[in-house]
Amino acid sequence: METVPRQIVAFGGGGFSMESGNPLLDEYVLGLCRSERPRVCFLPSASGDADHYVVRFYRAFPAERCEANHISLFRREQGPEDLRAHLLSQDLIYVGGGSVVSLLGVWRAHGIDRILREAWEAGVVLCGLSAGSLCWFEEAVTGFHGPPRRVKGLGLLPFSNCVHYEPTSERRLAYHAMLREGMRPGYAAEDSAGLHFIGRELHRAIASRPAARGYWLDAAADGVVETRLATTYLA
Amino acid sequence: MVSRILTLGGHDFTSRPPDRAVSELMLRLATERAGKRPKICILPTASGDTSEQIGRFYTAFGERPCEPSDLSLFRLGRRPMALRDHLLSQDLIYVGGGSMINLLAVWEAHDLSAILSLAWRQGVALAGQSAGAMCWFESGITKSSGRPKIEAGLGLLHGSLCVHYNNEPERRAAYLEAVGNGMPGGYGLDDYAGLLWEGEGPPSALTARRGARAYQVTAGETGVVESPLPARFLPAPAPAALREDIAEFRRIKSMRRGAGWLG
Repeated sequence: METVPRQIVAFGGGGFSMESGNPLLDEYVLGLCRSERPRVCFLPSASGDADHYVVRFYRAFPAERCEANHISLFRREQGPEDLRAHLLSQDLIYVGGGSVVSLLGVWRAHGIDRILREAWEAGVVLCGLSAGSLCWFEEAVTGFHGPPRRVKGLGLLPFSNCVHYEPTSERRLAYHAMLREGMRPGYAAEDSAGLHFIGRELHRAIASRPAARGYWLDAAADGVVETRLATTYLA
Repeated sequence: MVSRILTLGGHDFTSRPPDRAVSELMLRLATERAGKRPKICILPTASGDTSEQIGRFYTAFGERPCEPSDLSLFRLGRRPMALRDHLLSQDLIYVGGGSMINLLAVWEAHDLSAILSLAWRQGVALAGQSAGAMCWFESGITKSSGRPKIEAGLGLLHGSLCVHYNNEPERRAAYLEAVGNGMPGGYGLDDYAGLLWEGEGPPSALTARRGARAYQVTAGETGVVESPLPARFLPAPAPAALREDIAEFRRIKSMRRGAGWLG
């Protein structure tokens, strides 16, 4: 029996949401799908299902390249009634940015948290940026709601995660402090960098800009050790 | 100050008379608490913080004697706010309609349920329509996942509520069935009908549109009983006078139209 790999691609930032005209990260996740014309479902829950965001998704994922759809949990009457069947039939589930706290709250209320784990185990590729990256990890740093704070994610990946990990950002300092205080080790990604996991292992770090990097972070006796990951520029 | 909640079966913020009547009642409740220019905040969470819902709220209250604000949990990234301080400093908190399931889930995730209960006990008037009305009860009938279904609310008010009562027959039918099957009884509210809860006493019914009614719904020996409540009619205030600068702009525009050939 052939086993399908479980795959997650977590962007620190980038893709159609942030890099208009640079489709490298989005092309990369589409390329992981086995189908010629993959079924791609966008989950904009973290934005409150903002209309403008949904429109941008459809522009970035045109019909000639894939079969795009989205689920709005604020307008369930318009979408598929059986969320589980719908999500399990996708090749790629793409999670948008916004508030990770609201995202996880809404997902749990509709049972999406359990369905996504099932989809992952069934080989549906999961990806997303910002809140759509943080959500896959055991723990994460969110800076959306004010000063950075710790949140618990879905826990598909047994690490911590920090996004928009720019050298001078408040998030970076906050993440280091959290690691010193006992947060589990984890991965960070700058804007335009993505972390591709197969199973629970990091497979490779990728980027849509030559300079963007991913990082591995762990606490040591004398502080936090930050290791820059060899990151493949996708162009 | 006594705890107060205004629950409405459905309304919008437009310039139509029944909508103006509802807005003016909220302004009055807020002003009674403040004793001066009150603070009124909309929580548009149930809609996903749509610009449309927020915009209509500001249109209704922007020109009235109050300080309107919005607390948009999905927009905190661009506009961080101290949730607790902001909400507790309000005179009236208005909750818009949308998905009752998402409303309560997002509030819970941000610890807003506890803050709102505290605000209510401290005398901040609460108000809302549709999902924003049912959320205060023990339970309501929501269509947040497609078909009408029972959903638990915060329980500040005893019993249950069904909104858009005669406006959405399938919702009313689901409610009557649920009460018949043992869900605590409560109230049915048509669009533009409401209940004003003050302190511990029973609510007073009100209506802003002729024919819009409030019902008490109870399970009796012989089945579910639906009794219309006598309701006070809320008259619409006269449309707000145009602001002087807007009136001036319109005068100039109509003069220009008349003299279009001048370019």
